[in-house]
Order: sequence, then structure tokens, then C-alpha cells
Amino acid sequence: MIRLVFLGKLGDAVPAGLSEVALPGEVKTLSDLRDWVGRTAPLLGRAIAAAPTRIVLNQTVAHDMSASVRDGDEIAFLPPMSGG
Amino acid sequence: MIVRVAPEAFDPQAETASFVSGRDEPGALASFVGYCRAATEGTEVSELSIDHYPGFTEREIARLAGDIHHRFGCLDLLVIHRVGKIAPGEAIVLVAALAIHRGEAFDAVRILMDYLKTDAPLWKKETGPAGARWIEPRAEDHARRAVAGKEMA
Repeated sequence: MIRLVFLGKLGDAVPAGLSEVALPGEVKTLSDLRDWVGRTAPLLGRAIAAAPTRIVLNQTVAHDMSASVRDGDEIAFLPPMSGG
Repeated sequence: MIVRVAPEAFDPQAETASFVSGRDEPGALASFVGYCRAATEGTEVSELSIDHYPGFTEREIARLAGDIHHRFGCLDLLVIHRVGKIAPGEAIVLVAALAIHRGEAFDAVRILMDYLKTDAPLWKKETGPAGARWIEPRAEDHARRAVAGKEMA
């Protein structure tokens, strides 16, 4: 299983059952995972593509979308931030 | 350095007093408090809600604060940021800096606030008469962050 976390406005577009999923066979990398999310939940995929979205793998910002995704990983999708 | 993400309301005056208490080294304290407005650009705000990523948010704010702490040679920094539901009039954020002299304290607070607006993993949602909307940094926030980045370089 992998854990998926969608923050901010992305959270509004998450369909039920997408927070914990069995690692899909075709997903080897973060890039594959982003594409898979887009196919599985098109509305969410469009929201991710609409703004610069950072990906955090196991609590560390991912700079390389070819990084491997493994069983047990937690992957978070972060839209533009607005603190302060 | 103290960095706290607060799910409950906090008292900025009491927090600042406790931050300063018992110290005789600093000659300067500068602080900033951001409050939840009852209206944004003429539109009523009934509630503000802030989403965060537990663990990651605290660490990222601590990393930003740590960089600024070192860059300006402050003696200490305090950051408290609310998350969850916030009512108009409540404090959203408190940033305070202790330093030997005022210059470092003012700079640290200003630059940390400029960074928090665009770089802290927090997501604001305002609810008003027309429903809820997610807030994104304004052009002015990005401009201030760009200037702050140059000052940090």
C-alpha cells in the first residue's frame, strides 16, 4: 500500500478511497504516480496540472520525478502555499 | 528557537512575554502578529481555515526560521502559526526575534514573514457569503519574497 496526501485545494478534488491504495503495477516512479492519479481522478489531475505542484516523498521534497515509488511510501501533493 | 503549529487560539502577548522572560542578553525584541480579518477587499469573512501537512509543515518552518536566525545573527526566534479553523479577530501568526540590537530583530521578523507567505506549507481557505475560496499568494507577496531572497543571499 502507499499513502497519498493531497493538501489545500487539491483536498477538495480527492475522490473517496484515494488516501491509501495498493501500489499500481504500472507505477514505478513519481512521474508514473502523477500520471496514474490523473487517469484515476481526472478532476484532481487537472487541479494538480493547473498550478505548480510540489511532491513530497516520505516527508522530503522530491526534486527528481524519476525517483522510485515503493510499497509503504507516503507521497504528498502540495499546491502553491499561502501562510502568514 | 521555538516553532509551533497551533490548532487552538493563542495569546500573542502572553507568548511574547514568556519568550522574553528571564533573559538579560537581548537589547531588542521585534515582533509581528497577523490577525484574521472580518473582511477581505470589502467581502465579509466568516471563517478562515488553514490546512497543513503535520510534521512536514513544522520542519519546513523551522528550516526557514533557522536560515534567517543564522543570517541575521539573532539571539532567538519564536514562530507560532495557527492551523484549523480561525475566527475573525484571532491571531493567525506570531513571529518574534530577540537580538542585541534592533536592526537584526526588525530584519529577521520582516524577512521571516515574507518567506512564510509563499514558502511555508500552509494553505488558507476563506469562507464568506459566496462560499469558500482557497487563497494564493498575491503578486505583492511574490515581489516581497523575491526581495527577501536577495537579502538572504
